[in-house]
Amino acid sequence: MRPLDITRRDTATGPVLHVVGDLDYTHAPGFRHHVRQLTLTAGQCLVLDLSGLEFCDSSGITALLAARQHAQAADAAIILAAVPSNLMRTLTLVGLDQVFTIAPSADEL
Amino acid sequence: MTGRIGGREPTGEGAGTDAVFTSLLEDSAEELYESAPCGYLSTTMDGTIAKINATLLDWLGLERRAVVGRKRFADLLTVGGRLYHETHFAPLLRMQGELGGIALEMKTAGGRLPVLVSSAIKYGGGGEPLLIRTTVFDASDRRAYEEELLRRRQEAERARTEAEQARAEAEQAQAEAERARKQAEADRARLADTLAVLQQSLLPDTLPAVPGLEAAAHYHTASPDRLGGDFYDLFPVGENLWAFFLGDVCGKGPEAASLTSLTRYTLRAAAHHDPDPVTALTTLNDALHERYTASGDPRYCTCVFGVLESGHDDGHVTVRLASGGHPPALVLRADGHADLLPTPGGMLIGVFPTAPIGTAQTILAAGDTMLLYTDGLTEARTGPTRDALYGDDALYAFADEHAPATPQQTITALTELLDGFGDGLDDDTALLALGVPADPSRTRPTTDHPR
Repeated sequence: MRPLDITRRDTATGPVLHVVGDLDYTHAPGFRHHVRQLTLTAGQCLVLDLSGLEFCDSSGITALLAARQHAQAADAAIILAAVPSNLMRTLTLVGLDQVFTIAPSADEL
Repeated sequence: MTGRIGGREPTGEGAGTDAVFTSLLEDSAEELYESAPCGYLSTTMDGTIAKINATLLDWLGLERRAVVGRKRFADLLTVGGRLYHETHFAPLLRMQGELGGIALEMKTAGGRLPVLVSSAIKYGGGGEPLLIRTTVFDASDRRAYEEELLRRRQEAERARTEAEQARAEAEQAQAEAERARKQAEADRARLADTLAVLQQSLLPDTLPAVPGLEAAAHYHTASPDRLGGDFYDLFPVGENLWAFFLGDVCGKGPEAASLTSLTRYTLRAAAHHDPDPVTALTTLNDALHERYTASGDPRYCTCVFGVLESGHDDGHVTVRLASGGHPPALVLRADGHADLLPTPGGMLIGVFPTAPIGTAQTILAAGDTMLLYTDGLTEARTGPTRDALYGDDALYAFADEHAPATPQQTITALTELLDGFGDGLDDDTALLALGVPADPSRTRPTTDHPR
């Protein structure tokens, strides 16, 4: 089990969270807590850079949905960037590829 | 004292010794009496002191003239000593004529002096008692010794009592620890019972016998003390009409179990009200969304819900499926190949106010088996470093290779596959296989729940 490491940088359009490690049953609560602490304003865009995500289970997907709910509550947008192929397959299977805006990389954002 | 001390012969070379010896011989009886290392006194028979030596007067701090003819022996004693003298000492002495080693206390200027007293009566020629001779030994050292002995004994006694107390406390602590251990064991057993009962409320104990259909299931629990997040069911909803579902809730543990419970009973109730698969899953989406996501706690499940309609003349069964974000069902056909039953466009259930539901239909003819599974199977980590996933393609190939197979054969083969994953299988996995027997006599359902 790898620890989850979250680093944040702020851009003109909003915060970018770089998520590295396993987003699973053990670490999802920490991620959700981190996201809840984010102050988002209307029109901002929260980017989750998932390029370093090594594993994501149903608890992790729930955490992504909670992040989406947090952004929506502030009238902000949310983008999943650099989604690993395993997670992309799962997101597609459960229909979330239709719900999240997905970007190939966080660098161009 | 007469004779020689220590048997030493006076010799010429011991002139000094001779001098000492001579001086001892010259020691008068009077001097010996007065300065003896013990007290002497003589009294008349009524106890009046007639004679007392200087040693005793010195011990008691008294003048001879204040004592002789003026005090009785008993006057020299403490109150306790006087009482004892009167009630025991004097009567015994009169009776026996002598008495030795009696412990008494005498009054002194500074307090009291513990003494050992011996007395003897002097008799006249006609046997009449004349006077009492008494020796008094200073017993303070001996008393101190006895007190020390007593103190030591009391200390030893106290230490023994304390040791016994400590032992009793240790025994009590041990008994309490034992009680606590038994309580903890009882609590653990009760919790295990509770978990087992809850788990049973999430899965059917046995699958019902469905006429013209064979059913088999398997549930793999990744962690025995964690309630499962996977679920399945098979139940009648009308004449020749059976509903089934299989799914996976997000998360693990008690929270997942409560979500599973709500899901299972909502689907059962919905199916009895209207067995249409899309309607059942839509009802479930409404229930979960209202219960969790609307209050800021998004939770979801993925689920396949289906209806089997039997009673056709040729024995085939029609299947109508709906899916919310769940992996596609597989059908192991009688002719030896496998079909996927994709349900495109469906979305996980419970997170959005309205959820798109994907649908599919198929016909199970004699010898066909439909397999439903949760992603514990396809997400099992394989390979030497456990960094590859078993995957959908491998499962499809496995099904294609094993077709045709009865539901029980399918479940048995997959159970062996799961066992082969070892610790790469870190999620709960549910399997449900439904098929039409190639031989119509085989309709006994089987269920397999290793816990």
